[in-house]
Amino acid sequence: MKPFEQHLQDLTRRAFLSRVATGLGSIALGSLLNPGLLRAAAAPAGSNERWRGIIDPLHHPAKIKRVIYLYQAGGPSHLETFDYKPKLAAMHGQGMPESFTKGQQIAQLQGKELKCHAPQFPFERYGKSGQQICSLFPQIGSVADDICIVRSMFTEQINHDPAHTFMNTGSVIPGRPSMGSWLTYGLGAETEDLPGFVVLTSAGRGGQMQPIASRQWHSGYLPSRFQGVKFQSNGDPVLYLKNPPGVTRRDEGEIVDAVNQLNRVQHDAVHDPEILARISQYEMAFRMQAGVPGLMDIAQEPAAVLEQYGAQPGDGSFASNCLLARRLAEKGVRFIQLYHRDWDHHDDVSHVKFKAEEVDRPTAALIRDLKERGLFDETLIIWGGEFGRTPMAQGKGRDHHIKGFSLMLAGGGIKGGVTYGSTDELGYEAVENRVSVHDLHATMLHLFGIDHTRLTYRYQGRNFRLTDVAGEVVQGILA
Amino acid sequence: MRWRAALACLLVALAGLGGGTATGGAAERLGFNREVRPILSENCFRCHGPDQNQRKAKLRLDQRDVALAVGAFEPGQPEASELVRRIFSDDPEEQMPPPEANHRLTGPQKEILKRWIAEGAEYEPHWAFVAPQRPSVPAVASAPANPIDAFILEALDHAGLAPSPEADRRTLIRRLSLDLTGLPPAADDVEAFARSRDPRAYEQLVRKYLASPHYGERLAIPWLDLVRYADTVGFHNDVPIRVWPYRDYVIDAFNRNLPFDQFTREQLAGDLLPGATSRQRVASGYNRLHRISAEGGIQDKEYLAKYAADRVRTTATTWLGATMACAECHDHKFDPFTNRDFYRFAAIFSDLKEKGAYNLSGGFTPENLSEETLFASPAQEEQMKAFDTGIAARRRELEAVTDDQLAASRSEWEKSTLALADAGQLAWTAQHPLAATSPEGTPLAIEEDDSVVPGGRNPESDTYIVTVPAPLERITAARVEVMQDARYPGDEVSRGGSAFFISEIEVLGSSGRGAPFRPLRVTVARASSRHEAGYPPAAVIDGNPATALSFVRKVGGGIALQLAEPFAGGPEARLTVKIHGAKQHRFQNLGRFRIALHALPEPDAYPESVPDAVLKALRVPAAERKPAEGKEVAEYYRTVAPALASMRERLAAAVKQRDSVALTIPTVPVSRSVEPRPIRVLARANWMDESGEIAEPGVPQFLRQLQPAAGGRASRLDLANWLVAPDNPLTARTFVNRLWKNFFGAGLTRTLEDLGSQGEWPSHPALLDWLAVEFREQGWDIKHMVELIVTSRTYRQSSQPVPALLEADPLNRLLARQVPLRLEAEIVRDNALAISGLLVDRVGGESAKPYQPAGFYSTLNFPKREYVPDDGEGLYRRGLYTHWQRTFLHPSLAAFDAPAREECTANRAVSNTPLQALVLLNDPTYVEAARAFAERVLREGGWTFRGKLTWAFRHALARPPTTAETGILQELFNRQRARYRAEEPAARELAAVGAAPVTSKAGAADLAAWTAVTRAVLNLHETITRN
Repeated sequence: MKPFEQHLQDLTRRAFLSRVATGLGSIALGSLLNPGLLRAAAAPAGSNERWRGIIDPLHHPAKIKRVIYLYQAGGPSHLETFDYKPKLAAMHGQGMPESFTKGQQIAQLQGKELKCHAPQFPFERYGKSGQQICSLFPQIGSVADDICIVRSMFTEQINHDPAHTFMNTGSVIPGRPSMGSWLTYGLGAETEDLPGFVVLTSAGRGGQMQPIASRQWHSGYLPSRFQGVKFQSNGDPVLYLKNPPGVTRRDEGEIVDAVNQLNRVQHDAVHDPEILARISQYEMAFRMQAGVPGLMDIAQEPAAVLEQYGAQPGDGSFASNCLLARRLAEKGVRFIQLYHRDWDHHDDVSHVKFKAEEVDRPTAALIRDLKERGLFDETLIIWGGEFGRTPMAQGKGRDHHIKGFSLMLAGGGIKGGVTYGSTDELGYEAVENRVSVHDLHATMLHLFGIDHTRLTYRYQGRNFRLTDVAGEVVQGILA
Repeated sequence: MRWRAALACLLVALAGLGGGTATGGAAERLGFNREVRPILSENCFRCHGPDQNQRKAKLRLDQRDVALAVGAFEPGQPEASELVRRIFSDDPEEQMPPPEANHRLTGPQKEILKRWIAEGAEYEPHWAFVAPQRPSVPAVASAPANPIDAFILEALDHAGLAPSPEADRRTLIRRLSLDLTGLPPAADDVEAFARSRDPRAYEQLVRKYLASPHYGERLAIPWLDLVRYADTVGFHNDVPIRVWPYRDYVIDAFNRNLPFDQFTREQLAGDLLPGATSRQRVASGYNRLHRISAEGGIQDKEYLAKYAADRVRTTATTWLGATMACAECHDHKFDPFTNRDFYRFAAIFSDLKEKGAYNLSGGFTPENLSEETLFASPAQEEQMKAFDTGIAARRRELEAVTDDQLAASRSEWEKSTLALADAGQLAWTAQHPLAATSPEGTPLAIEEDDSVVPGGRNPESDTYIVTVPAPLERITAARVEVMQDARYPGDEVSRGGSAFFISEIEVLGSSGRGAPFRPLRVTVARASSRHEAGYPPAAVIDGNPATALSFVRKVGGGIALQLAEPFAGGPEARLTVKIHGAKQHRFQNLGRFRIALHALPEPDAYPESVPDAVLKALRVPAAERKPAEGKEVAEYYRTVAPALASMRERLAAAVKQRDSVALTIPTVPVSRSVEPRPIRVLARANWMDESGEIAEPGVPQFLRQLQPAAGGRASRLDLANWLVAPDNPLTARTFVNRLWKNFFGAGLTRTLEDLGSQGEWPSHPALLDWLAVEFREQGWDIKHMVELIVTSRTYRQSSQPVPALLEADPLNRLLARQVPLRLEAEIVRDNALAISGLLVDRVGGESAKPYQPAGFYSTLNFPKREYVPDDGEGLYRRGLYTHWQRTFLHPSLAAFDAPAREECTANRAVSNTPLQALVLLNDPTYVEAARAFAERVLREGGWTFRGKLTWAFRHALARPPTTAETGILQELFNRQRARYRAEEPAARELAAVGAAPVTSKAGAADLAAWTAVTRAVLNLHETITRN
């Protein structure tokens, strides 16, 4: 990437020259402060030119074009998913050795007796690679050779709200852009009719349904065009997408057409390029009104595909969202983030079995489906939550835990059939090949052909990055 | 290359801009602040700057003496200077900045540094850290009346540019009205102004708008962004918190033109002012506006640290334009703020009474939030004091009766109570309903456990009428027991939303066998569950349908209704309980409940009436009781003794009277000063690290220090006085720079949040300083500054550029013209509502809930929430009153770049997105506004299409339509009218959007076709832009 300012100056100059050459008029102030707006402004009237990103050219060849982030919200227990800990089983009911816990931050177990709590389900080896995965997840097991398990994640925030914010933005201070916003700012999207960053949510049963704030997909100090757009499974798939009652698509089209004609008249009089941008936004909105409902209607999928995912049209389930994620991926959406809530198992961690029922099959189906369609190698799939859970019991459940937890990755540029890093023998602290949240972000950007230290935005007098002042690419998981 | 350097080059190339700057030097000599510091700051200070932990080779380039001592350069001798050798070196080992840093010096930048050393390597203190002096107003040829114009013209002269002509009058009045009030001008005012020949007409308009109550609303918007004012707590469950009186304080302060120095004192330290008024204490709520959390598992110290840091960030940005946030973990990389400074600043606020983890201390209670009653007037405060005096007198009356005087009756009571206890009649007994009905026709199922479960459709407001047997001999009280049921949403106690509201409960009795039911007087209502502030149990027996009861913890509980006289029950006797929902809380009807009866006077609501401890003491023979046990019995007896009944009733009546008045007075979190907590310097912001030194309250060490009164600990008031002291270099500049942005779309320094080393070099440094000094010396008079700006010729210029101007100054940094500005989110809404005639322009009060898509809060929890829009006025209030849900800001506001207000925001982004198009096209607010606007057009716009359209344009855009515009809309109208004539039901569907009734007498198709036209008008770029 050229320095931001240089880029801005080039854009300014280019737009300025084209404007002067064609006699089109002024350059809006807002446009000059934000190249995104400028780029939109620089587009010829009514053109579909989309934002192509600040990174041009890429820092190195890209491995992937998009991310599908299967965000398991609430803090999935690594001990009942991907991290096999026989020693913890052996110590079930015994006191957790103080050498592990002394001086460490804990959440709801503050001041309580700390006892080991055995993994609640057996683990099995899957695939040729023989990866060890909890037996609740046989379908994920069936694609074991395609996935990379990271057992050595750690994070800094022990409560849901700030931990989500840290996982998504690399900071706990609100107002910072989320990773999807960074990516669409950096690279744009490959779609003209859809936002580049789409969020879907689903809920299940069995755990505490922790809230998810829209901060998690907010663009922070980046322009709001880079904000994630939440698609809803009930009502309008995008807010305000539907025509008002008594208004047909044709009626709406006539109004949009009149608005654009009038705006063009106005532009010819005052030469404000923001008006041209406004015209193309109305065109895109009108296309979204036509395109999105069909895209969101998975009933159009063959029965066999629905069956493969376990999706039922209109049920708003994680399975349906996985299928939607594939449809969005096909359309060129850059960052697709699915929040599946309700992994907060304080009371009874055996309820992970309900989660397994909800996510095992669709996760594997998505991987297989992407492979069959040739999208797997250009997509990064991330599966994981904001933190893990304690090896110590909280009744029959487990408390929040930040010193070690697991993630699963698959897709372009990722080694399949590999388990990377490890926690200690009780699954407490990541000890080998530790991976921080910043490292995860750096690796994700790396796969897109971006050097994470060079994707920056000037704010409050300094160049901010998704990875703050840290982050190392995790070479060990790269193919 | 920094863009301002680019601009500088551009301008130098054009004409050699240099005059009018604070450094003031001739073009040939480099200015350290203007040309050199930006290069050093951007490329060198990270390793050779203020941060001592990052400093390499003991070299700091931000201080000349240190740089000289280390031998970084030889003034006047670039060839002998290490710095020059290093920056021009190709050797990766030597080169500066080193290759691994993401910084490269350009050729011209290297030359500038070299030239600077050749010229003597003189330093200047960073401009914004030196108190501004009033520069002389430049003498320019055209001798403008307004000093602002003199500064602007001088720079334009240097650049060889001329200002733009004044905007036409229609543009001007619309610009002024939107900028000063956030509302479009009245159409009549536009015509009058357009026709007026009065040379003072513009100044008269300025005065009119400055005096408008909507001026304060307009100015409040950016201030509320800064102080991150919102209606919810922000973290995790993001539940509501009532701070709107603070918002009204801000509006009022701008409207009465409270001087900014006093505005500052009242917000930071209103509670510490001598004889602080209610209003000043509300202002001190500023310190309590940050996000707060009650998430399970959080720790007090951790969150106290988060709140403290947030306060430093916000206060430093708002008043100092300083990025002190950067010093939370380490010394600032670019500015001389140390890590220690950050915590000293935080320590100034450590006297605030507050909680870290609200979940550990009972939640967001009035006590934890330091809520204070907000009196509307001194008279109201006096009235409340009189009530309190009366209550104290009633209490003394009660206390005058000694326990000894009651001994005889107490011993009788002890015997009968023990007998009742032995008979199992001391507790509430649930009664199985004989009948349960609702006037709304709601099916009320009666379950085996005696509970009543409302089902079927949930009406807006319901009444449950339940008749139960009354078998007890002597019935002293009835109880409605609220029960959770998983069939209901949220916390499962209400049929809609998360809370239930009960406006009244009536109790009627009949002795049976056809005897009529007569109303039984209820004297006291008690609840076992804590009630929402403003929704106390007394509301259900006050006969006022406008008041209601609601619980805070939505887990059920009892509401006990004590009868004035015991009711004689019996095998045939019956009681009927009527539970009325609250009409103003639509759909929030009570869920499952049951009715129980009691035989003892003054029973607690839940679960037992005679506390265990009392009963236990009672079972000990009187003579053998320990003193504590005796006291237990005697004290409890006083609450039930018949001899004291009338006194108790008088006390209860006095309390009830006070409460019923108190109900109408909101409470609000304020600052309360207590023993300060120790604040430690936290290395890397780690709150678990207790090894850091204790930070004494103070301001950044490189600025003048606080001088606490009486030599004691520095207080928030000391800080406020320091901020507005004449020698403070930052406060006035920060404020006027932001104010400038309101009227020109950008500050004189565009980095509104950073006047530090990395901030932008001002386009007109002398003007910025002149404005800052003027502001301070004119008594921090905000209206004076606004008036100065908007009466300037600079402000009144046309925003339409000419090509030559674009070529010379594409960024419009020299302000040779005005700029078109997209309206702010709230004002996009206000404008549409005002044009449509739907706007309710009442100033202040509780936040409003306009239409919002269903399910928007679906991922909120604890409790789950369903947004219930207001009805009536609440749907049509100005955007700044919209309920500000931090984690899910109203989507129409968010689409137009309103910030979530989780964090201090000095500068809103301005974007242009398809989601904005969808909002204006399809949000029912805008569809309804278009329909109401169409009705006005049809009613008032005359007879012809052209006449109507002209009327519409004059109201929406302050101008008539052009022929081309008329043609486009005539065609739209014709097509739409034909289409709706063919399908009138569709026309009626469109007209039915929104709660405002259709009043137009026009035909449905005409109204629909005009609605299509007005929708187009409300969607125009020009409508949401001020030119």
